[in-house]
Amino acid sequence: MNASSKVDFLKVAVLFSLLIMFGFVMSISVDAEAQQPAKKGDAAAATKKVDPTDPTSVIYLDTAGKAAGVGDPNKPAGEAYKAGRGWHPAALAGANLPKDKYGLIDWAKLVREKLVKPRHSLDPAEEEMPPLPMDVLIEAKGDFVANVIFPHEMHTYWLKCEVCHPKIFVPSAGQNKMSMVEIAQGQWCGRCHGKVAFPLSDCKKCHTSPKKTATK
Amino acid sequence: MLRRRLMVLMFFAAPALSYGAVDVITLDSKIESMQKAGVGPVKFPHAKHQLKLKCGECHPKIFKDALKANDINMKKNMDGQACGSANCHNSDKTFPLFECAKCHTNVKAGK
Repeated sequence: MNASSKVDFLKVAVLFSLLIMFGFVMSISVDAEAQQPAKKGDAAAATKKVDPTDPTSVIYLDTAGKAAGVGDPNKPAGEAYKAGRGWHPAALAGANLPKDKYGLIDWAKLVREKLVKPRHSLDPAEEEMPPLPMDVLIEAKGDFVANVIFPHEMHTYWLKCEVCHPKIFVPSAGQNKMSMVEIAQGQWCGRCHGKVAFPLSDCKKCHTSPKKTATK
Repeated sequence: MLRRRLMVLMFFAAPALSYGAVDVITLDSKIESMQKAGVGPVKFPHAKHQLKLKCGECHPKIFKDALKANDINMKKNMDGQACGSANCHNSDKTFPLFECAKCHTNVKAGK
């Protein structure tokens, strides 16, 4: 390949990349245009439906003023429904829920900031169990890693006692011979963390209480 | 032409090879703590890291380039230093810190 053909090749490459960029920008603007009228259309359709004498046309709003449900149980009007008729990652991502450093939903923060207030059970007759405010110190085995303070309160907010006791954890402090290796293999905390709860790679979310003996 | 290229390559590669001659480094200065935690020394595959990283990505900012000069422990790693630095084993670029057996030897498999 001589010098002039190299320059020609470069020119062609630059031209192509510019074309692709232009196409990308155009497609974004076309998408944006396409979305706006659709939203207007939805709003128009919603205003047409309202009939004060029809109980099924009632729209319930949540505390933020967003549609949370309608009088007709067959037609949910929640944000999840609008975003794609169900719970899916994209709908959740767009719901402005607090996220951790991995971009996963921070369910504990959601509770602490009182962003959700779920019913304790679908069965109204079932007795409500308030969260158990009991922290358990789990000492890290090595000399350096910070100890774990296990918060029962956040766990019992979401879970019943029987979810963990006595099958996964014996309900007696110090009687569970856990290790990080076993946890990483999916036992103990690893039954949930890394699967349905925040991942094990977020070390410092559990290892919060520094050891006094640790040098640094 | 080819021979000259090869010579230039050798000229630059020779010192790099001599510096990076360590293949696997055993890290066992915290052996007491490791034994309490049920793990053995770390066999750090230096050569394997060299294949993917440039020397300057780790040395001298994250690790001093001398054997036994670095005081590494799991807490430091978890705090985003040493092995757990931002672009290393605390990121999605490679395996995370909790996979004990990927670095530590003699890991008790539990039960």
